[in-house]
Amino acid sequence: MSWAQIAIDGLALGAAYALVALGFVLILNAAGAVNFAQGDLVMAGGFAAIALASALPLDALPVPGLVLAPLVALAGGGAGWIVAEVAYRPLRHRPPVAVFIATIAVGIMLQHGANGIFGAAERRTPPLVSGDAVVVGGVTLSLQSLAIVATAAIVILLLHRLLERTQLGRRLRAAAEDPEMARAIGIPVRRLTALAFALGAGLAALAGLLLANVYFVTPTAGLAFMLKAYIAVTIGGWGSLRGAVIGAFLVALFEVAAGRLFSASLADALLYAALLLALLFKPEGLFGEAAGRRA
Amino acid sequence: MKTVLFLAALAALHAAAAARAQDRFHLPLLVPITGALALEGQSERDGALLALDPPTAAGDAARPLRPSHAVFDTGSNPQLAVQAFERAMAAEIRPRAMLGPIDGNSMLALLPLAEREKVALLSVSGTARLTELGNAHIFRFFPSDVVVKAAQARYAVQELQRRKIALVYQNTAYGQSGNEQLGRWIESLGAAVVYRNSVPVTTKEMSGVIAQVRDSGADAVLLQLHSGSSALFLKQAARAGLALPIVGGSALHQPSTAALLEPAELKGVCAETASAPAADPGLAGFARIFRERMKSEPDAFALAAFDAVNAALAAARMPGPLAESLAKIRHPGLAMTYESDGKGNMAHDAIIVCYDGASRTPRIAKRYARPHEAARR
Repeated sequence: MSWAQIAIDGLALGAAYALVALGFVLILNAAGAVNFAQGDLVMAGGFAAIALASALPLDALPVPGLVLAPLVALAGGGAGWIVAEVAYRPLRHRPPVAVFIATIAVGIMLQHGANGIFGAAERRTPPLVSGDAVVVGGVTLSLQSLAIVATAAIVILLLHRLLERTQLGRRLRAAAEDPEMARAIGIPVRRLTALAFALGAGLAALAGLLLANVYFVTPTAGLAFMLKAYIAVTIGGWGSLRGAVIGAFLVALFEVAAGRLFSASLADALLYAALLLALLFKPEGLFGEAAGRRA
Repeated sequence: MKTVLFLAALAALHAAAAARAQDRFHLPLLVPITGALALEGQSERDGALLALDPPTAAGDAARPLRPSHAVFDTGSNPQLAVQAFERAMAAEIRPRAMLGPIDGNSMLALLPLAEREKVALLSVSGTARLTELGNAHIFRFFPSDVVVKAAQARYAVQELQRRKIALVYQNTAYGQSGNEQLGRWIESLGAAVVYRNSVPVTTKEMSGVIAQVRDSGADAVLLQLHSGSSALFLKQAARAGLALPIVGGSALHQPSTAALLEPAELKGVCAETASAPAADPGLAGFARIFRERMKSEPDAFALAAFDAVNAALAAARMPGPLAESLAKIRHPGLAMTYESDGKGNMAHDAIIVCYDGASRTPRIAKRYARPHEAARR
């Protein structure tokens, strides 16, 4: 197996992790607290895709997963809005620990709900595009991996444009950076915070669709994604959207490369060792100007 | 006189209640319905439930005992398993037996409790160590790793004629137990382990491991991975064009594992197991009833639990403590005939199933009766 294929696999994994980490940071910035249900929203997105796929006639389509993607993102967004209204808004004036415990509770409810509805077995979402592999320069590359990278890149670019180039994005950032001031100048902070939850959960659900075709999904799969997003955000810089994306790719490429050079178990241990080193020597992360205020 | 009559009536009532209690057989089912081994735990639970409430064709029609049960979720977690055991012991009818969780770590935590309370612990866990601790209250109805790993190694070395084996195993108690047994059998059969590596259950990308297997010069791969990791390995090995025979652990016989893969990705892949209810024509009746009742595909864990509960019901009708009866009983189950080896190992046979690449239902390629004893010879 060539390093080119391993790199593509790492990029595909990183692209999906990046969506999870981006959603994590969006909610972190808006709510000022960690959303521990983020991984379970990824899992829920995978199962939502499976449920939608069984209800829609997708078999004949060349791009079944791409057809599902906007529906899954919308369903995730709806779930995020509910999380904001149920687990964040009533607790927002309490200490941050109340919010993150509430999100842990939401995550556990999602796990048990998925177990009750879909069972404990691993399940698989439809592929984004039909077909197995393409040969480029003598190297066989997985079509799914390439499609994941392309889909995630488009979504990340769209999100970047939304946040940087639109009035809604500017309001979202203003509400996240200084809610009191934003409220004083008439920005509807409550609605925008719920929107941030919806965006973050929508990204998580989309990641669930992308990941579950290649790596499957189970009701308990969320914790691993949550941990990877947490590490990516810590390395990239707590609160930084750019850092979340770069951190996610670093985590995935490190995971795949260390797995190739050493062993998967050692790769896991080395990843956590790298996290410890990052916390010791660069606690603000790569792009973490906001770290002091949001950690 | 009134006092004598009252005392006599009280004694009669007590005797009647005692007789009713003896007719009852309360079996707590301590199984992981959630957590990492929920899939296997749900199979285990469903097999047991079918045995406790069988339609005429699947179970015991005589029913002199009135079985009852309670299900406790152990969450693939030893601490929860211990709590479940304590709660089960507090039931109105004191249990004489319990079905234990499939994960070896939880079973190890329950062993001292079973000994203290003198409760027979029925198990479908493969972890070899469970029956090596001298505990007289464990009865394992799934062949231990000593048995199934002997079959797995023998199939690769003797049937497929492979000499350079790559071993990929999970970094859990299950994986480590299998790795130890496989390594021992491979070497005792005259082959060599040329590559050995462990994989955490959270590892999604196996391309590094697969590349290392290829670099090692191995001529076959033996897997000891849980269901999800097994499917990930096969999927990514097919994508990478790894053209080596693969003989997996029992997770690979499970219909739910095969459902994750395309038939072509399963081509030439084999797996050890105690039984294959979905593939064995001799078990078609059980498979049909299981599908009707449980709305899922039966696997070897479900059948082992079904046989274990029926053996316990048969032993409960014998005089004396249940553990002593189970130690003596010879129970003709659906998967095999069960009999203790003196340590509580009741199952001694294994089969190898293989996929042909055209469907997700495997065929039985080889049956092994006591493969560990033959391998030792």
